[in-house]
Amino acid sequence: MAVIADSVGPAPGPEGAPGARSSARSLRSAWFVLPALVFVLVPVVALAVQAPWSRALSALGDAGAWTALRVSLQVTLGAVAISLVVAMPAAWALARTDFPGRRLVRALIVLPIVLPPVVAGVALLATFGRLGLVGGLMQDIGVRLVFTTAGAALATAFVSAPFLVLALEAGFRSLNPRFDDAARSLGASRWYVFRRVTLPQLRPALVAGLVLTWARALGEFGATITFAGNFRGTTQTLPLAVFQALQTDPGGAYVVSLMMLVASVAVLVAVGGRLLVR
Amino acid sequence: MRKRALAVLACSLAVLGACSKGLSPGDSTPSVGKATLTVLAAASLTDAFTTIGKQFEAQDGGATVRFSFGPSDGLAGQIQSGAPTDVFASASSKWMDAVQQDPGVSDRADIAKNRLTIITPKDNPAGIASVQDLANDGVKLVLAAEGVPAGDYGREVLDNAGISDKALANVVSNAIDVKGVVQAVTSGDADAGIVYVTDVTPDVAPQVQTVDIPDDVNVIATYPIGVVDGSEQSDLAKQFVQYVEGPGQSVLKADGFLPAA
Repeated sequence: MAVIADSVGPAPGPEGAPGARSSARSLRSAWFVLPALVFVLVPVVALAVQAPWSRALSALGDAGAWTALRVSLQVTLGAVAISLVVAMPAAWALARTDFPGRRLVRALIVLPIVLPPVVAGVALLATFGRLGLVGGLMQDIGVRLVFTTAGAALATAFVSAPFLVLALEAGFRSLNPRFDDAARSLGASRWYVFRRVTLPQLRPALVAGLVLTWARALGEFGATITFAGNFRGTTQTLPLAVFQALQTDPGGAYVVSLMMLVASVAVLVAVGGRLLVR
Repeated sequence: MRKRALAVLACSLAVLGACSKGLSPGDSTPSVGKATLTVLAAASLTDAFTTIGKQFEAQDGGATVRFSFGPSDGLAGQIQSGAPTDVFASASSKWMDAVQQDPGVSDRADIAKNRLTIITPKDNPAGIASVQDLANDGVKLVLAAEGVPAGDYGREVLDNAGISDKALANVVSNAIDVKGVVQAVTSGDADAGIVYVTDVTPDVAPQVQTVDIPDDVNVIATYPIGVVDGSEQSDLAKQFVQYVEGPGQSVLKADGFLPAA
């Protein structure tokens, strides 16, 4: 995923004045973004308009928004951590090594991206559930993942990690390996090279990848509700709280939704709109 | 500048999350150290059980009751998948039977009965005046999904009334539980829905019109409760079940439930 790309300068116009005609054309053509912009913004504006502002705070409390926020933070940070542990070595191997079946392996690793999240949840249940493949054994030793916060983090990591793999792989590929080679030739160990030469260069891609993964984790619903359930205080994340609020108090659902929207936008801005800007 | 903004943001989110407990009294999480009872109960029991839970906590002193309300079939499925549950209260015997089979139930008892009714939006746009009207062309009917007790009972009512084919063709949405049906009607997205009489709560009543279902086609729902095998608080769970069978009965009655016997 390209993180930073300088925009191409305007082509010189036929009169020779650089960009004069195409600037005018750009301005007229700018209207083409309108359908997409409207498509995205109208529902968001509707949410803000329909929200019951006068009772916003009590609605948030009734919907369990603050507890859900805490659970979401725990689950998303856990999911990002798990994803990093899994994705970093995979991305490095996919970018830097060549082995038979590499394409197939990459396709398999990013499979969860095309898997409907609820299917991911069902698959995890089939593995770790009480009647699942390893769930029975786990129960015998007293370890349970289903319907726990850790389980929610696992389910979320399952669907988010592939994004990190792709981001990091692209990041590795964009680096110049000559710096690594130079360091190696000066006697540095592979681990030292990775830590002190490769990783620092990878930072922009790493940050972008982590934020993308975190954003995906925050919005995860299907896998979480299937595998971890919807228990307030342990597994009810913000999206699940919104879903529940919709059953009893749609106004509350609107308010919590806006809370999520604001949080997500704030993070995107803080990390620097570089992520999505071309 | 960006880095500092990110740091401030991260810290504020962390602090916000950490004081989630203190921020709103309406949003409480179980405190550490007290025994916490986990009760999975049918969605139609939401109001009654929430009240009973508070009363039980008050008289017991050391316990916290944590509820998860939802469709009885979904809850039974969660229990069978390993969700830690102390007490299960279902809106039909079918799902209690399932949990009794696996993982097992003890101290099972029926705690209430219920009847069904039809609700429409306040202005009754489709002019529903009787069960038979649900078979009219163009009526947007919402039922709970099949498998959900309210959904099964609703379909039974339509069958009893002899209008299954036409009425089922009018179903525009299968709600995830009976509260979802209420929601569809109050929002105006449905012309009619079949729910329990107890779902027409004081909050809901001003937003809907009710159309009675005559006794000869109506269905009586039975609500069993039980302590789930594998519960780590089986004594406390048993106390809760007994509380529901005892003092809890007045709460259920006040909400419109019929006595179990």
